[in-house]
Amino acid sequence: MTLTAPLLRALEGIVGPAGLVVSHEGLLTYECDMHTFYKGAPDAVVLPGSAQQVAAVVRLCRRERVPIVPRGSGTGLIGGAMAPAGGVMVSMTRMNRILELDFPNRCATVEPGLINLWLSQATRERGYFFAPDPSSQMVSSIGGNASTNAGGPHCLKYGITVNHVLGLEVVTGAGELVRLGGKIHERPGYDLTGVMVGAEGTLGLVTAVTVRLTHVPEGVKTILASFPTIEDASETVSAIIRAGIIPAALEMLDEVVIRAIEEGVGAGYPKGAGAVLLIELDGPAAEIEAQAAPIEAICRDHLALEIRVAKSEAERALLWKGRKEAAGVFGRLTPNWLLQDAVVPRSKLPQIMKELLAIGVRHRLVIANVFHAGDGNLHPLICYDDRVPGELERAKQANEELLSACLRLGGSVTGEHGVGLDKSGSLPMQFADADLNFMARLRRAFDPDGIMNPGKLLPSHPACGEGFRPIARPLPAGTWI
Amino acid sequence: MAVTAPALQEALADITGRDHLLRDPVPLAAHAVDGVTPAAVIRPGSGEEVGRVLALCAGERLALVARGSGRALALGNPPRRLDVVLDTGRLRTVRDYVPEDMVATVEAGVTLDALAAHLAPHRQTLALDPPGGGPRSIGGVLATHASGPLRFRYGTGRDLLLGVRFVQADGTLTWGGAKVVKSVTGYDIPKLLVGSLGTLGVIIEATLRLHPVPPASRSWRVGFPSADAARAGLAALLDSSLQPDRAALLDAAGLSRAGLPPDAVSLLVGVSSVLEAVESQGQALAQLARSHGGHAEVLPDAAWQGLGATVAAPVLLRLVAEPSRLLDGVVAARTAAARVGASASMLAQPGHGVLQLALWDVPDPARLSRDLILPLRSGLEAEGGSLVVERAPLELKASCEVWGAIDPETLEIMSRIKREFDPDGVLAPGRFVGGL
Amino acid sequence: MSQAAPGRVGSFEARDAPSMDGLRACVHCGICLPQCPTYRVLGEEMDSPRGRIYLMRAAAEGRLDLTPTLAHHLDLCLGCRACETACPSGVPFGQLLEATRGQLERRGVSAPGRDRSTLRFLLDLFPYPGRFGPMLHALRLYQLSGMQAIVRGFGLLAPFRKLQAMEALLPRVPLPAADLPEVIPARGRRHGRAGLLLGCVQRFFYPDVNADTARLLSASGWEVVVPRGQECCGALHLHAGQLDGFRAMARRLMPAFRDVDLVVVNAAGCGSALKEYGHWLADEESRAFSERVRDVSEVLADADLPLGPLRETVTYHDACHLAHGQRVRAQPRALLRRIPGLTLVELADAELCCGSAGVYNLLEPQMASELGRLKVARIRETGARTVVAANPGCLMQIRQHCRAAGLSVDVAHPVTLLARALEAR
Repeated sequence: MTLTAPLLRALEGIVGPAGLVVSHEGLLTYECDMHTFYKGAPDAVVLPGSAQQVAAVVRLCRRERVPIVPRGSGTGLIGGAMAPAGGVMVSMTRMNRILELDFPNRCATVEPGLINLWLSQATRERGYFFAPDPSSQMVSSIGGNASTNAGGPHCLKYGITVNHVLGLEVVTGAGELVRLGGKIHERPGYDLTGVMVGAEGTLGLVTAVTVRLTHVPEGVKTILASFPTIEDASETVSAIIRAGIIPAALEMLDEVVIRAIEEGVGAGYPKGAGAVLLIELDGPAAEIEAQAAPIEAICRDHLALEIRVAKSEAERALLWKGRKEAAGVFGRLTPNWLLQDAVVPRSKLPQIMKELLAIGVRHRLVIANVFHAGDGNLHPLICYDDRVPGELERAKQANEELLSACLRLGGSVTGEHGVGLDKSGSLPMQFADADLNFMARLRRAFDPDGIMNPGKLLPSHPACGEGFRPIARPLPAGTWI
Repeated sequence: MAVTAPALQEALADITGRDHLLRDPVPLAAHAVDGVTPAAVIRPGSGEEVGRVLALCAGERLALVARGSGRALALGNPPRRLDVVLDTGRLRTVRDYVPEDMVATVEAGVTLDALAAHLAPHRQTLALDPPGGGPRSIGGVLATHASGPLRFRYGTGRDLLLGVRFVQADGTLTWGGAKVVKSVTGYDIPKLLVGSLGTLGVIIEATLRLHPVPPASRSWRVGFPSADAARAGLAALLDSSLQPDRAALLDAAGLSRAGLPPDAVSLLVGVSSVLEAVESQGQALAQLARSHGGHAEVLPDAAWQGLGATVAAPVLLRLVAEPSRLLDGVVAARTAAARVGASASMLAQPGHGVLQLALWDVPDPARLSRDLILPLRSGLEAEGGSLVVERAPLELKASCEVWGAIDPETLEIMSRIKREFDPDGVLAPGRFVGGL
Repeated sequence: MSQAAPGRVGSFEARDAPSMDGLRACVHCGICLPQCPTYRVLGEEMDSPRGRIYLMRAAAEGRLDLTPTLAHHLDLCLGCRACETACPSGVPFGQLLEATRGQLERRGVSAPGRDRSTLRFLLDLFPYPGRFGPMLHALRLYQLSGMQAIVRGFGLLAPFRKLQAMEALLPRVPLPAADLPEVIPARGRRHGRAGLLLGCVQRFFYPDVNADTARLLSASGWEVVVPRGQECCGALHLHAGQLDGFRAMARRLMPAFRDVDLVVVNAAGCGSALKEYGHWLADEESRAFSERVRDVSEVLADADLPLGPLRETVTYHDACHLAHGQRVRAQPRALLRRIPGLTLVELADAELCCGSAGVYNLLEPQMASELGRLKVARIRETGARTVVAANPGCLMQIRQHCRAAGLSVDVAHPVTLLARALEAR
């Protein structure tokens, strides 16, 4: 769409000339987030400096019926921070201050553009941190984390972003600037904060976030256990949970990934390991000591080849290095891959691993696995070569089957990346028309004119699927999977 | 068509069978909601039957209030209209429980006690413990956002409800959320329904996140000689790396009603973990108590069950403020109660700033309202907090609002949501904030 | 989207086009964003490494012409390469930037408002000691005669922003130092011959740093050779994208260092450029040359210098072309820690560019000042009395902005402190 000159002038009047981007080159750089398959350049980008400016922009756009797409650091994996229908992109990157650290109330209020890790860095010395730790945390923003309800390896123990958001200041699609929740833990009325988290910018724009701060645990213990087969490792995960132990993090890598890591980074995994588990315990020192022993015993019961315990912070970093750089070394094994983000109930983990193997065999493709095993959140990587005719098609087919398999086992189409554009067509696999219709009407209550991030999250018609388009490009180390 | 019309009665009876439809006046009076007697009480035996009841109500423009055990039915304004009370008591099946997933799906009428019994053999638990709430239904606990000492570590229904099946005002059976602990598919409908007092939908089934019961558990009562000492002690506890799973704060009267020694203020703290961790945290707790002028004594686990007595008063108020101001709230409440000559007992959630003020022997309602409720409320609201009348005789409810002031812009959004899903006001009309 | 035209890569000419493999290595993850100084200041995608790469790639794929706006966003880039340090995919941003600048230069495309005349002036002056020397002589008179005090006191240069910016950066121009001897013998066991690069700015503004470097190398067992007639390493030309000019300077410089085992550099910008000769000249001679280049801290870190005490509290700022360009971070810190009595306080955002970036602070004064202010704020937090940095440009920039902020700190090159410590022994 073309924005009229008066509209552009009005936008400039709100955010100032330095806050408006209209050059062709500038808009080009905003046409996608990390999922570069989905491209859609906005017609203008504004970079507001305050909630009042955000509210004024929304009201203006509502009057003019112009769509709005919010954007944080642009590191999402679901085609969220791009503008398929053009319109005005609202970049929150300049609103990145810590507004208040309130240690007696164990909370902090921050602007949405603040980088996740920076909050923990600001509070760590005082003994606190912000618990949600998506792998993107060194660049993703807290507003973005809230909008997608981000997860991370430590959400197994600490919960996901919504469990740590006490309040939000938002501008709704109707243009209202309101404070929802806050440092006071309950308020009479509907839990609008809870609904806004994970709404992916379709209900309103977040202009401030009040989050829970968590006390830094007394101690941490990191264990790397290697197993002959992925089945042994999956059974070990199940056994640990059955024993009533919830580690702080429980991650798994399979032998395809292990091989790539050894070739690329060299984390020193033992030869012949079919899978490794990275288990982290944190909490009171006595507790982690007492939990480590049964965990090690369970590992040994499941034929662990080797159990390595980090004895220092440096060793701990080394054990995590392999996990964090896993995706980055894939270029050595395969020219292309598709990344999936799906969930199964924990108890179905051994079963889905078997099905993944079968799907790979059926389509003559290698499927590699590195993921958050503790909560059943899978990240299968389907390896293929787009120069080989038909291989991309087989990969896409495998992807569909994989998603169906997860759903059949009682899982979900997305564990932590969100829906965006990428999974909106898959929602009908998990929700009936009535359920999607309910969500659509909730959206209407916040955004009566449908200007907030249109086309995202909900399918355009409950019954229509748009086909799944996963990421098709090599991923670097530290990619958030 | 009036709801007493025989045709309508027949239609209702057709859904559940005559045995589960109550029409005689005397038992009906016992099912009044805030003094408003319904014309029928119906007890559906399945989610589908609930759907058909609501469809019927919607078609006939009837007003319906859902109830579980009825113990928190007093929460809310008197309904603007009431035709049918829907009792979920027959929806008491545990639908699905996979211990290894630590997730259970239960019908809304399952009580907390019944669920606990079901989970105990697998050493798992639902971490929701509103005081005296064992006989309460899951649906009611969720709809009223009830919580207890376990909130300290595990949160409330908002953190524990993963997926919800509910019936909309027009009778449509609807699902929201997921059956797994980690899912970000669409809007978090479970969050919307928790605490919504049944005004957006009737919960018929809940998928809940469970937790393992750790091998060892111990509790302590940390008694402080004064509110000031308690304030400092609590701040130190919250700032430490101790990991209690449950906590409660009581004043002397509260302790007394709970059958505990009445120090000026006591913190009850429970730690569950492996035995070594429990013991070492107990020692740390005792040390913390001593350095703030208090003393720690072992508390039998059963003591937590006695907390219901602290809040079983005819008038129960819920005061919420910033967590760091909790003891200020205790002092203010005590002063106000003394001023009006009411005997009061208090039970609070440390770390969350929630204080339940129970009032026994209440003087005349007008005086209570004017000299205690309204002043306390306006003080709290000035700081962003709230005072909700959770339970009170009708004449008291009439003289002061139940919910207090709601920010008008937020209320506007809530109104739009209510209008979207219940335009005809079928579900508990008028009971919720702002008369929604 | 045509790339079919022969001799072209999209909108680029094939010769010295930015590497397509390099551009493709970027997977758009954004990890570089928080490390980029211009992104920190502006928060805009097109002034981030990810955005700049996206534009360069769009040009290489023919989706974008070589436009003045493209030039502007690349002009704003400091070339600090903090993004390379952060990038998990190994995107060679610095080389992509310089290649693209070269393309723009060749096509005559420049940003509106870009001060081409100043750049040309600087490129014609700095790298030529024969011109730079006499110019500085005049500046010295300007300072000693009291004219500088008058000019600064009355703000006479206020209408001439560029000139004022340059003037503000001027440290006290020292009296011309006696030339270092051509060969300085090694003390103790002789490791080999180390050629010393004098550097264009270093040799005039901080000749003591060169003298101290020679002294320390000698004390470490290196025979120090100071080739006569050495000119410029070509870094300024390289960073400006004038690749042919750069190559010419490289070819003139290399022969001067034929007879040494190591080429030792004490200016980060120069060292980084020398280490890239192999990439840009792509022949045996240049590759072999680059292999022999070392920053002075790399050499000294391996030595066992006897150091006496210096009771000072210092903080260390990472010069971009040393930390990011050459991946040398640990050695300067380790050396400082070896000085007894010295307290080294870590500087927050030590690796964030101070805004000097070669002659960037003369061409983009607004951004450079913003970064200078950020750096001063961090320095203030340390409470240190001395800021140590291994690049003359950094020393000038930091000194100027500390003074402007009323913060009284000294600035010093690491070798200055090491030499004093050596003396104290």
